[in-house]
Amino acid sequence: FPLLCGITVRTLLPSFASEEVIDKDHALPNPSWSTDLRFLFDQFMKKCEEGSWKRLPSYKRNSTQKFQDFKTHYVDPKLLKEEQMPGAQLFTRSFEDGLGFEYVMFCNDVENRVVCFFQGGPHLQGMPGFTHGGAIAAIIDATVGTCAFRARGIVMTANLNINYKRPIPLEETLYSEATGLFITLDPNKKLT
Amino acid sequence: MMKKGFQVAARLGHHTPFPRTLRILPRLSSASAFGSSTDSLVSRFLRKTDFKDYALPNASWSPDMLSLYQEFLKKTNSEGWIKLPSFKSNRDHVQGLKLPSGLIATSAHLSSDISPPGDYRIFTRCIQVAGQGYEYVIFFHPTKKKSICLFQPGPYLEGPPGFAHGGSLTAMIDETFSKTAYLAGEGLFTMSLNIRFKNLLPVGSLAVLNVQVDKIEDQKLYMSCIAQSRDQQTVFAKCSGVFLQLSLEKESP
Repeated sequence: FPLLCGITVRTLLPSFASEEVIDKDHALPNPSWSTDLRFLFDQFMKKCEEGSWKRLPSYKRNSTQKFQDFKTHYVDPKLLKEEQMPGAQLFTRSFEDGLGFEYVMFCNDVENRVVCFFQGGPHLQGMPGFTHGGAIAAIIDATVGTCAFRARGIVMTANLNINYKRPIPLEETLYSEATGLFITLDPNKKLT
Repeated sequence: MMKKGFQVAARLGHHTPFPRTLRILPRLSSASAFGSSTDSLVSRFLRKTDFKDYALPNASWSPDMLSLYQEFLKKTNSEGWIKLPSFKSNRDHVQGLKLPSGLIATSAHLSSDISPPGDYRIFTRCIQVAGQGYEYVIFFHPTKKKSICLFQPGPYLEGPPGFAHGGSLTAMIDETFSKTAYLAGEGLFTMSLNIRFKNLLPVGSLAVLNVQVDKIEDQKLYMSCIAQSRDQQTVFAKCSGVFLQLSLEKESP
């Protein structure tokens, strides 16, 4: 399924060369993963060995490095607290194994693609038995955002337009089509 | 090679029997099919239950949120607004009713030792620790077909450091759409969402979501939402959404 990424180029930002690894990498199989998810994971791990695909690690918290850079360049100091909020967690990793978003992303920087395999757990329910539309929106936002980030540096979602083709039962593989428009951030202009 | 990978992904997803598109369900005339009026839907929604209502103030609510909540509570007496209860699962909200046959989801290949059977939570009540996730309450106006949601995102909803994840705000808007669509006209499933982000929403601060039903036609409910600060000086996002109308059926005794 095609994931379209519309990107406006402003400035290229230095990528974060070495991020502090302060947490467990959650983009790896755990007992809650279905056989389908595991199969897709294995398939793409093979692709990583063969060519230009890479598995993207995923942590519960933004690294302190990222926090400092973001704070310094983009936010009015009056608005943002001094320290990283204690207990703050990346939204899509704020769940125990198997209960929320189980996902892994692979990127191909040559083709500018990001693939995300996603399995929604019982705490993402909307209509009984089905995944909440907002949960789907969140994982799509995360995927398209990762794609844009790898292409152009720090990005923020400007517009998200999702057409839901069919309801997604919990614990099934994601099938959705989305277009995302991302603005890139100019370090010389504050956001707030 | 890439295409094959995607085809595999798509095929693997289709284990459960599912209508190809929801449109194959019989199209009924608007007069007869969706006979449940807003009033009957609302009174059923508000009937007394033992389920815990999460849409009530707790220690994590900011003074801003508390005072605006009190304001709206007053309006429930005088101006026709209704405070909606919010339970842990949508199943609790629609007790005694079920989805039309053909839409019952089964999870064929679930890893069963993760959560106790029945520990399903509606996404916006996924984080139960007060103040950490979604703190919100929705007020609905049956005649005007409008809703107001007071939303305070907690630190577990973070995206950019110190601010709410775009997806968490989208989910809150989708959920407000969902309850509004259901009560205004039996809207059940999201068909589309189009959200335009304007400003970042700081974690712990209050966003007021104004939702209204723009039109109902062709088995679809069209709604729009503005998410802004209490003083309306900062707009966080604007969103439009379309929901599919579908009548729930009574569960067989």
